Amino acid sequence: MKSAKLLLLAALALRAETYYVNVAGLGGSPDYEKQFTGWASELDRELRANGPASHVITLTGTSATRSHIREELSRLAGEVRADDAFALLLIGHGTFDGVDYKFNIPGPDITASELASLLNRIPARRQLVVNMTSASGASLAALAKKDRIVITATKSGNEKNATVFARYWVDALRDPAADTDKNGAVSALEAYRYAEQKTAAYFDTEKIIATEHAMLSDDGSANGVRDPKSERAQGLLAAAFPLIRPQADIAKSATPEKQKLLAKKEELEARIDRLKYQKAALAPDEYKQQLTALLLELARTQAEIDR
Amino acid sequence: MKVAGFLARFVVLFGLAAHCFAAQLSDCHALRHHGHLTEAQACFNALLSAADAFTRAEGYWRIDHYDEANEQFRIAYKEEPTSPAVRAEWGRLFLERFNPKEAATLFEEAIKIDSNYAPAYLGIAKVGAQAYDQKAVEYAREALRHDPKLTEAQELLAYLALEDSNPDAAAQEAHKALTLSSEALDALAVLASIDWLNGRQHSEWMDRVLKINPVYGEAYATGAHFLVINRRYEEGIKYYRLALELNPRLWPARSQLGVNLMRLGFESEAKRQLEECYRGRYRDAETVNSLRLLDTAKDYETVTASAASIVLHKKEAALLRPYVAPELERAIAVYQTKYKMKLPGPVRLEMYPNHEDFVVRTLGLPGQGGLLGVTFGMVVAMDSPSARPPGEINWASTMWHELSHVYVLTATNHLVPRWFTEGVAVHEESAASRDWGERITPEIVLALREKKLLPVMELDRGFVRPQYPAQVIVSYFEAGKMCDYITEKWGNDAILAMMHSYANRKTTEDAIAENLHETPAEFDRAFEDWMDKQTGNTTRHFEEWKQGMKTAAADLESGKRDAAIHELRAIEGFYPDYVAAGNTYELLGQAYMEQNDKTTAIQELERFRDIGGRNVGALKKLAALEQESGKPREAENTLLKLNYIYPEDQELHHRLGGLLLEKGDAAGAVREYQAVLALQPQDPAESHYDLAKALRAAHRMNEAKDEVLLALEAAPDFKPAQQLLLQLSQ
Repeated sequence: MKSAKLLLLAALALRAETYYVNVAGLGGSPDYEKQFTGWASELDRELRANGPASHVITLTGTSATRSHIREELSRLAGEVRADDAFALLLIGHGTFDGVDYKFNIPGPDITASELASLLNRIPARRQLVVNMTSASGASLAALAKKDRIVITATKSGNEKNATVFARYWVDALRDPAADTDKNGAVSALEAYRYAEQKTAAYFDTEKIIATEHAMLSDDGSANGVRDPKSERAQGLLAAAFPLIRPQADIAKSATPEKQKLLAKKEELEARIDRLKYQKAALAPDEYKQQLTALLLELARTQAEIDR
Repeated sequence: MKVAGFLARFVVLFGLAAHCFAAQLSDCHALRHHGHLTEAQACFNALLSAADAFTRAEGYWRIDHYDEANEQFRIAYKEEPTSPAVRAEWGRLFLERFNPKEAATLFEEAIKIDSNYAPAYLGIAKVGAQAYDQKAVEYAREALRHDPKLTEAQELLAYLALEDSNPDAAAQEAHKALTLSSEALDALAVLASIDWLNGRQHSEWMDRVLKINPVYGEAYATGAHFLVINRRYEEGIKYYRLALELNPRLWPARSQLGVNLMRLGFESEAKRQLEECYRGRYRDAETVNSLRLLDTAKDYETVTASAASIVLHKKEAALLRPYVAPELERAIAVYQTKYKMKLPGPVRLEMYPNHEDFVVRTLGLPGQGGLLGVTFGMVVAMDSPSARPPGEINWASTMWHELSHVYVLTATNHLVPRWFTEGVAVHEESAASRDWGERITPEIVLALREKKLLPVMELDRGFVRPQYPAQVIVSYFEAGKMCDYITEKWGNDAILAMMHSYANRKTTEDAIAENLHETPAEFDRAFEDWMDKQTGNTTRHFEEWKQGMKTAAADLESGKRDAAIHELRAIEGFYPDYVAAGNTYELLGQAYMEQNDKTTAIQELERFRDIGGRNVGALKKLAALEQESGKPREAENTLLKLNYIYPEDQELHHRLGGLLLEKGDAAGAVREYQAVLALQPQDPAESHYDLAKALRAAHRMNEAKDEVLLALEAAPDFKPAQQLLLQLSQ
């Protein structure tokens, strides 16, 4: 059942539009200013490359003010449809005073609660918020909501050092290695795992104490997890939220014969997915035998489609 | 007046009582000194009812009630604000109970109160002695200057001289102590230790100890300490056991017994001994950390190779085993031929991914600053490459270094001076591969310029009790160069012959005379000339080089590439060994890259690689440039060298796997792709697929199919893997 839900969401996503709002906050020093703006520009470029179904707004420097953010999000509240997807990506510094999380921007800062109320007015059922700032863990509770994926660069408001997570999040959108299931798209879950692992490896390699621990929550709760697993009901929505997707939509131009093959492929993928969920319950040999048969059939079907 | 009369009487009584207790304290110490432990215990117990806190503190301390003793000292400290004795004695308690920092503070306070108070100087000397600090000797002498009859200070000087591998001076100092007190047990222990170090099992000095105090296990423990610091661990263990036979409550000896058993791999008994110490409330850093380390044994796995067992942390065993096992076997094969001997048993190599765990192995040993590895008989413990930031170490070089110790220690029956075994080990690193080993660092250049190298007869001191911060590193360098020099002038057989001389209990003076046919002074003079040829260019032009580097860096910063290149070319020959951050090779590489002169940039970075540069980023960049420039074999060479420096890098294995597969080295490619998987890659599907391709090339079809299934399990739509599965299933 879980697999069927994922496929349905993916199918819906094909017809929907995706709206991205990237905001690079205040750097506080020329180096950070340059870094944050640079990452936001790269995000902008990678997301625009998705094609015309991607609508990307990027606010940096003096345009990343509270009033501009409010303005853009309010405008989108009237433009985005329920079937569309919406993503808000925040880069920069954040602070937490024990009560409120604040995203540091030119002029007055914006709080997590304020952002949440703006996002709640956007009709898109599938929403993604990636808060890559320091202390971003403190924003999770306010931002968490049913059908919304919330990713934070830190596990709490107490992780106050400038983060590196954003750097790897941007890398995830252009590194083919991030597409771990090799379906040509990079989902929010794949990007999260990529950035989380690269961030951990960065601290490990440099032999410095890790000052950030990314979290993901997409079950509507404020209980983010570092390693989302479907058994823990975390990561399901993120897996079905494509950030980068192949532009060519084969299904649209397929012949009836190919349509059949595509349907067969989809069915085989679903069966493989179900089998994987049953792995623990099956004898290893039996699992391997069934998996081999399905994968061979899928490979043959794909070869037919590509012929 | 009544009140005044009462007080006067009280003062008299109190004064008498205090005097009484002071005399009793001295009696108690005398009982203990003579081994009447039960009576001494009762005597100290009686002190607990003393009117003054200071005496009570002494009583509690000697019956092992440390918390109460500490409390009483705290009271005495307030009661007697001008007493240096209270501070010095309290300091001694802290020192005994593992808090040298607090102890030092109290000794210094005592000196502030009375700058002539000898026991306080002695206390500071003892703090220094624990850390093998040169100031131990200075303060012991200072103590004697203030009190020439302070036997304990004289005994300490004897002890320190023997630690400095100077038995003649040690004996001389010990005899001085004996003239102060014929019952100076620790002086006798030093003299007995000299006998034991010289292989005389029976020492008349020990007989004298036992006549004075039949349960003075401390004397055997002293001998054990000297045997251990001379790397004679098995003998050390034997003497710690003898110490405990005399006095089972000798916790420091029991702890050291446990630590040294652990060092030699006897982990279960080590744990038993250390746990007993812990239960006995002896919980110093070595005991507690060793117990903690022993508790992590379950996290390690042992791999058996042909002449060795390799202990690796489970989290990195799969990655390291394919590199470490063959390298260790290669080193054993080379040393077996070179030293013309076979080891009596398998070597045990332990690699620690957590540097702190490795440090536990070296606690209490002299010259441990910056240690990467340590050898205990047939056991080698070292940092795993993951324990250090990338590029900081070359694990294979460290392993060859330590394994050399195993051979030298075995060949000499552990009777080798520190300088020689370290020198041979350093020499062996660059003999195994020219780019291995440490290069001349700026601190070594400064030491050379300031003529700080020690004569060969004194070189051991540079390892044990350094007189300036870099002296241990300088001593390693000097010893290594001495062995390079011996090999160059007299051949490798001279090294072997010296090893045999040491095995026959010859001194360095004899070993040089017998095999190099020179006196140590002649050796030092000729070595100095030779060194000048090796390093004179660098030492003479060091300032010019530094200035040139500054200018070049500034030129590069401001975009003046031609000027930077010109400057760097002018100074590059002055200090070719400098491969740390901001070296000429990388700066030139950067400048040429900015000029789009990739060929010259590659040449510079290859020079950096070949002279021993370890910057992982620069070497990875070099490999990429070489590959891009159609030089796959050079790229392979660079990546193979990186495997010795930072095998934790997935990208390097992936790239190397591809190059090896392309070349037709399927086995090598399998090894590299397995390494990628061992590092839990970001993209497991791609990695399983790569491995499947390599396995197919190696004609291991079933394994190839298993890998491709794993790739497709992670990514069912992965087309190249689908095609490979179809091919493998035909």
